[in-house]
Amino acid sequence: MNALILSAVLGVIMMFSGVMLKQKSAVRNIAITGLFLLLVVNILEMSGMSFFRINTAGMMHFDRFSLLFNCIVFFSTFVYLLLSARDIEKTGNYYAEYFTLIFFILCGVILVSSFQSLLILFLGIEIISIPLYILTGSDKKNLKSNEASLKYFLLGAFSTGLMLMGIALIYGSVGSFSTAQINMTEKPGALMIAGMILLLFSMSFKVSAAPFHFWTPDVYDGAPTVFTSFMATIVKVAAFIAFIRLFGEAFGNLQPQWQIWIALITAATLFIGNITAVFQQSVKRMLAYSSIAQAGFMLLSLYAMNADAKEGLLLYSAAYSLATIGIFAVLIKMNDYTFDGFNGLAKYQPLLAATTTIFLLSLAGIPLTAGFISKFYMLKAAVATGRHLWLVIFAVLMAAVSVYYYFRVIQAMYFKEGQPGIITTSPVFKYTLVVLAALIIILGIFPNLLLNWYYF
Amino acid sequence: MNVTQILFWFLSVLALFGALMVVTSKNPVHSVLWLIATFFSISGHYILLNAQFLAIVNIIVYAGAIMVLFLFVIMLMNLNKTTEPKKNRWLKLAGGVAGGCLLLVFIAALKSSEITQQTAEVKTGDIGLIKNLGRELFSTYVVPFEISSILFLSAMVGAVVIGKKE
Amino acid sequence: MQNALQIAWLIPLFPLLGFLINGLGRKHLSKSAIGVIGSGVILASFVMSIWVFLQVKDGNTHVADYFNFISVGDLSIPFAFQLDQLSSLFLLIITGVGFLIHVYSASYMHEEKTEHFGRYFSYLNLFVFSMLLLVMGGNYVIMFIGWEGVGLCSYLLIGYWFKKAEYNKAANKAFIMNRIGDLAFLIAIFWIIKKVGNVNYHDVFQFAGENKFSTADITGITLLLFVGATGKSAQIPLYTWLPDAMAGPTPVSALIHAATMVTAGIYMIARSNVLYSLSHTTMNIVAIVGLATALLAATIALKQNDIKKVLAYSTVSQLGFMFLALGTGAYVAAVFHVMTHAFFKALLFLGSGSVIHAMGGEQDIRNMGGLSKKLSVTYFTFLVGCIAIAGIPPFSGFFSKDAILLSAFEKSPVLYGIALFTALLTAFYMFRLLFITFSGKFRGTHEQEHHLHESPAAMTIPLIILAVLSIIGGFVGIPEALMHGGDKLSAFLSPVIKPHEGTPVSHSTEYGLMALSTVLVIAMIIAAWFKFRNYQRSEAAGFGKVLENKWYVDELYDKIIVNPLNKFGGFLNSFIEKFVIDGVVNGVGRIVNYSSRQLRLLQSGQVGSYIFLMVLSMLVVFVLQFFLRK
Repeated sequence: MNALILSAVLGVIMMFSGVMLKQKSAVRNIAITGLFLLLVVNILEMSGMSFFRINTAGMMHFDRFSLLFNCIVFFSTFVYLLLSARDIEKTGNYYAEYFTLIFFILCGVILVSSFQSLLILFLGIEIISIPLYILTGSDKKNLKSNEASLKYFLLGAFSTGLMLMGIALIYGSVGSFSTAQINMTEKPGALMIAGMILLLFSMSFKVSAAPFHFWTPDVYDGAPTVFTSFMATIVKVAAFIAFIRLFGEAFGNLQPQWQIWIALITAATLFIGNITAVFQQSVKRMLAYSSIAQAGFMLLSLYAMNADAKEGLLLYSAAYSLATIGIFAVLIKMNDYTFDGFNGLAKYQPLLAATTTIFLLSLAGIPLTAGFISKFYMLKAAVATGRHLWLVIFAVLMAAVSVYYYFRVIQAMYFKEGQPGIITTSPVFKYTLVVLAALIIILGIFPNLLLNWYYF
Repeated sequence: MNVTQILFWFLSVLALFGALMVVTSKNPVHSVLWLIATFFSISGHYILLNAQFLAIVNIIVYAGAIMVLFLFVIMLMNLNKTTEPKKNRWLKLAGGVAGGCLLLVFIAALKSSEITQQTAEVKTGDIGLIKNLGRELFSTYVVPFEISSILFLSAMVGAVVIGKKE
Repeated sequence: MQNALQIAWLIPLFPLLGFLINGLGRKHLSKSAIGVIGSGVILASFVMSIWVFLQVKDGNTHVADYFNFISVGDLSIPFAFQLDQLSSLFLLIITGVGFLIHVYSASYMHEEKTEHFGRYFSYLNLFVFSMLLLVMGGNYVIMFIGWEGVGLCSYLLIGYWFKKAEYNKAANKAFIMNRIGDLAFLIAIFWIIKKVGNVNYHDVFQFAGENKFSTADITGITLLLFVGATGKSAQIPLYTWLPDAMAGPTPVSALIHAATMVTAGIYMIARSNVLYSLSHTTMNIVAIVGLATALLAATIALKQNDIKKVLAYSTVSQLGFMFLALGTGAYVAAVFHVMTHAFFKALLFLGSGSVIHAMGGEQDIRNMGGLSKKLSVTYFTFLVGCIAIAGIPPFSGFFSKDAILLSAFEKSPVLYGIALFTALLTAFYMFRLLFITFSGKFRGTHEQEHHLHESPAAMTIPLIILAVLSIIGGFVGIPEALMHGGDKLSAFLSPVIKPHEGTPVSHSTEYGLMALSTVLVIAMIIAAWFKFRNYQRSEAAGFGKVLENKWYVDELYDKIIVNPLNKFGGFLNSFIEKFVIDGVVNGVGRIVNYSSRQLRLLQSGQVGSYIFLMVLSMLVVFVLQFFLRK
């Protein structure tokens, strides 16, 4: 609750800072400090210091899982701002408002990570979605950005409709929004099942799982790169937390009903994400497909829905977000987003190339990186269910395919000749990248550094 | 079949028909008008459910304010039949068939479901009255109610960002 | 003063540090810094080893468990060091001789580039580290780690001059042959785990002491361990790598391929003496293989003309002697010979290094001769080495070789006869080497003659120290017959190695045997003197040619093993690889690429088609969920 209120207040503060302050750097620094505070108050709440006592009537519950997840999100956003805050400012004139929207999105993230009622879930999802439509279209002079925003809005509205309909059907069947109540239903009728499946569709849309992924490549490609980074990482993992909470807590007893669908969706997502990424020519678009592919892996945790899966999803969120934020931060600095644009980067910017390599290796799941260990957790969780072993094998095969397109970037950076153009980066940017790369490796070796927080 | 049931079916058919016309009308202005008709029939449903306040709010906010806004926008932009983009005929057909099938499947699936309640609740319960609604909203649902302010605030900020000149 | 055993982990740590510093800083440090660091860490280990030795001598032994190294199911393997009589003795040999060789190397390798100089020293330090791990390990797994480590370092150092293809081949050969032995060692470890459930020496030996092994198990395990030992210690049939290993720098040959690594096999069997004593079959095999190797290598050494090759075959032969001792149950004699051999063989190798240094890289003794005048220190120390290896009292080689011959005699007079004959051959070829190299007229080019010079002090001082050790090193193991209580070594090692059980020989017989061997050896030396003091170049013919070509063993191995394997590899490469593997791999790639191109088309960019596809899939799910699923 600490973080939720602070985040909302910070959003308002950012709004006013745009009016009051003339210097861009001041606004930026307020945002970064604000995020740091957000992280601090969240950690305080984890250690039992809650500043507000608000009776939510059982609609929200801040447990370790959600608080730790929020920590990961705030930290990722913090890193994201450190790396890319300057680029946010370059997108348009209303830089303070962009920060405002980001803080509001974080409110939504907090809601979806700790909801106990479908009402809060819906509010959270909408609070995340609406600012995103705006951010996607924030590059107003760019037709692609406008188109992406409109598409996102139309498809998003469609998915919202599905979600509302699902919630309505479930309410009609149970008479309550409470997840616990819903889970207690004995003998769920067709109304309930239909509602659940509608929710499955709309959540699949939010996490861009096939066949509801169509918006992802177009929107990610069209949106200003700096916001794509935010969308593809923090927002996506937030949607996953909502997904796993919803299906674990509200439909946990219905697992036999939905497990096969999740398995099929996972397989389809892995297939479409990985295979389509192979043929892309633009790194940005490749990363969009890669985010679909990674979503496929995260879906395994939903499929398994056991203790390993929850741990694994936390780890995966951290590993995936940090690595992807890092890659996007470098990508933003490039003049040319195609694979060829990366040619010879290692020669001119050895540090950028080296850290990017680590990020890519992590995404590909090469051992000693956080990406490997989190993929490992996912597969372990899926194996532990004892059913549908084909899914695990398929996931491993697809992970092998993913190596191809990730390594294309590495190949371009190290083994091809080219002039990547002049890239100017600040020292803070470089240090942050190095710290990020180090974190990914440390997490890869000692995943318990993160997971211990979940239990102690 | 008593009066309320007749009303229920009538309003339902009207709402569905209106919604279909919204989608199929070539002229944007007609679409908006059909939408207003749909909203009215939904308000009628609210009244049948003894939720007068919601019914009035629905008419004032949606049919009144929002639709007027829509009309203004459409007229300002001078949209009419000719500006409607040509769509692939086959895609339209396929979409229609798929949507229709989905509807059929839905009906078939939910036909057997356990809803045995009445279609209307005239004079039964008073949850839809403004007093009780207000009490609920500011006691049980106060947290979501307050949180929705964030949603509106972000929508407003978004509208400003999008709408203002660079 | 219990401390020494507590901090014994420092002993291997020092060389490891040296390896890291020299390895990482090889481009930044100066040569002298590298030399000082490289030798200094070994000196530090040596000092620690002396300390440990003194503690152990007072009867303190120590098994230190540091942490759980591997823990799988019921099996848990600790990272443990065992410091007892046997390991402390080996520690002294390794660090002591190792230190001298490091000092020598700093001068010998001085003409290398700084970067390669650093690489050399880092390898050398890594080697010492691995070797220390091998002897200090408290269980078979730690020993195996060291075992593999020394194998790796040996490979790296043999191939140190990696630009010569020939040398790389030699390095590969050494590595691969060692791997064959290692595999057997590994299987033996698995076998032990299966039976005992543990690999700690203490537990395994206790298990064996209670006679819980079946005959088949104990024979299998000991034989496999022995196969491991034949690889590392260059015994038939895996000995051919050692002569080729002379491609490495001479100090490396002295350290790795004479004094330390090749004796790892002896150490392993001496360490496992409890197991070996239980299996007579294995013991007999060990004795016979050892003796056969000794004889075979000695005959080959008779006709070799490369100074280092002679020494290499001599090493193989001496290792054979050690295995003979092990096979006849005289473990102490084997360890004793390891020690004296370390002294005089390191001395001889370093001496040959000094000669090669003086001759500007020339290794063929036919091109030498008359070097005694120019290289007096080298000559005298080399002479000491030759006397020691030939076994003339009171030089160290006499005592250790005598102990081996005695135990062979106790076992069977036939073994003794062959062993004595081999010892005589040893004396003959060593003095042949000495006389051809140092006596007579110089047979090299004028340039070489002009260049001849004695080596610098950094090289000669280790020679002198080793010479002194070669003279006095035998006094720790004077046989009972000569001096009551003279066999201090046996007494020292008695807690680890049970005293030798055999039919004791009367003292008079023992005197007779000693006199016989001494007289015959002196006779051989005189014979060599007459034959080789004025050596003239001549072509080998008849049987000599067979010896010169090392009994054609290498050719035989090529014919029956290497060539068929190469052909098979060629088949795999040209057929299986090209058509089957490549076909599958490329096929998968092509399919992925194709489907990628097709799937891309789904992404049309039109919202309408997206929604259509979504609705379609929802339709499918609903139909399946509600109407087809039960």
